[in-house]
Amino acid sequence: MLLKSGVLKDPVVCLSAIVCYPRIFTTMNEVKADNACNLCAPVSGGESFVQQSVPVSLNKRCSSSILQSTPEIEKKYVHRVYDAIAPHFSCGNGKYLGLNPNCYFIGCDISAPLINICADRGHEVVVADAVNLPYRTGYGDAAISIAVLHHLSTECRRKKAIDELVRVVKKGGLVLITVWAREQEDSSLINKWTPLTENYLEEWIGPSSHQIRSPPSSFTLESIPEVEENGSGEHLRDFKELSCSMKSPGTIHLASQSQDPSEKGKNGENQQEYFIPWHLPYHRAEVSGASACALANGLATKDDKKGAVVYNRYYHIFSEGELERLVSGMDNAVVVDQFYDKSNWCVILEKR
Amino acid sequence: MRLLTHNMLSSNIKGVANGFPLRIEVEKVVEKQVDFNADFLKNMFAKIEWKALVDASRSMGYSELPGDANPSMLDSDDFLQKFHHALLELHLEEGALVCPETGRKFPVNKGIPNMLLHEDEV
Repeated sequence: MLLKSGVLKDPVVCLSAIVCYPRIFTTMNEVKADNACNLCAPVSGGESFVQQSVPVSLNKRCSSSILQSTPEIEKKYVHRVYDAIAPHFSCGNGKYLGLNPNCYFIGCDISAPLINICADRGHEVVVADAVNLPYRTGYGDAAISIAVLHHLSTECRRKKAIDELVRVVKKGGLVLITVWAREQEDSSLINKWTPLTENYLEEWIGPSSHQIRSPPSSFTLESIPEVEENGSGEHLRDFKELSCSMKSPGTIHLASQSQDPSEKGKNGENQQEYFIPWHLPYHRAEVSGASACALANGLATKDDKKGAVVYNRYYHIFSEGELERLVSGMDNAVVVDQFYDKSNWCVILEKR
Repeated sequence: MRLLTHNMLSSNIKGVANGFPLRIEVEKVVEKQVDFNADFLKNMFAKIEWKALVDASRSMGYSELPGDANPSMLDSDDFLQKFHHALLELHLEEGALVCPETGRKFPVNKGIPNMLLHEDEV
């Protein structure tokens, strides 16, 4: 993703890895050095980790009912989309795995097709969910989570994913987390994304997803119709409307851009929920019949102008300070570094 | 899936107190040669739950590992070679990992464990 600013709009890596270093305490320096892409460049030489915990506590409690089910928006606009576009990731996944012969990396992702690509390259991988990592507690020397958290649609789930990363490393172990920033280096990029409306989010994630919802049964878990057999489902219609608005400048899209971000803040509508397009050029789309299928079932749309099939992926992009706030209330981890790099917010935690 | 990975994996089903070690059901085992690295093995030894590794390697048809191990054995090249083979060269290609408490099976296909939980398990 993220790692090369030029390809920002087409992120290619979403991964959580657990790392075991047989050697003690070379830890994050190795990860940094090895992630040669510029992700970690600003903190190289990070032997002088400065502790800067931010004393803001998270008062929001996470009821298990909220965590329990994966919201439909993630199922469709993250899981299914990545499954569909995985074969086209030519520079592929698993770029952080197997970097150092003295480290043992295990990668995990929720997308089986992406994981298959890693496995084909000889990496050790597991299909797993970031909010429920299948590792023993305290085993890893380090864990990295690159471009994962912004695909989780509620704060509780983002928090749980961080808890899991900390859980699986040993005391003194480090956790690197990177997420997409709302503060993009190329601020025009954000104009190409489709902001999601409150109504839309309520339908997909549930009303005020940050709050505790008492009846868990109010989560609707009916599956999305694969094809439009029973007329087009409401979800599908909504999606098409949104997709259309993307293609015709001047509707929802431009309207929301007429305000600058600070103004939006004042109005209390700090937009952070987006569909972000991933373009698959027609000539590459023909490679797999999957595109036709994705078009038929509403997972993708066609953009004839660009000559591409467009897949929308759900993102919650992080505002400045949000990631630190998420991690600052933890009693078993402290922030040892935090930085902004290539349109990402990044944080390094140390488990206590 | 290597047995080193198996030694790290745990069933994380809600309510399960001890999801480790996962029992291995074997359909197909493959062996892939890996460069021998004594330092790697010596350093990794401290992390390994030995009994889990022994049981896992036996279920994969390899019974050369001693039932007990201690750091002094790391001086023995013979021991290191066996440890190396069990830890890194045996792969569960097809089969399942079974939660020791609930019996829930996590499938392993093409060497990849699928550890995703069902919605009633989280």
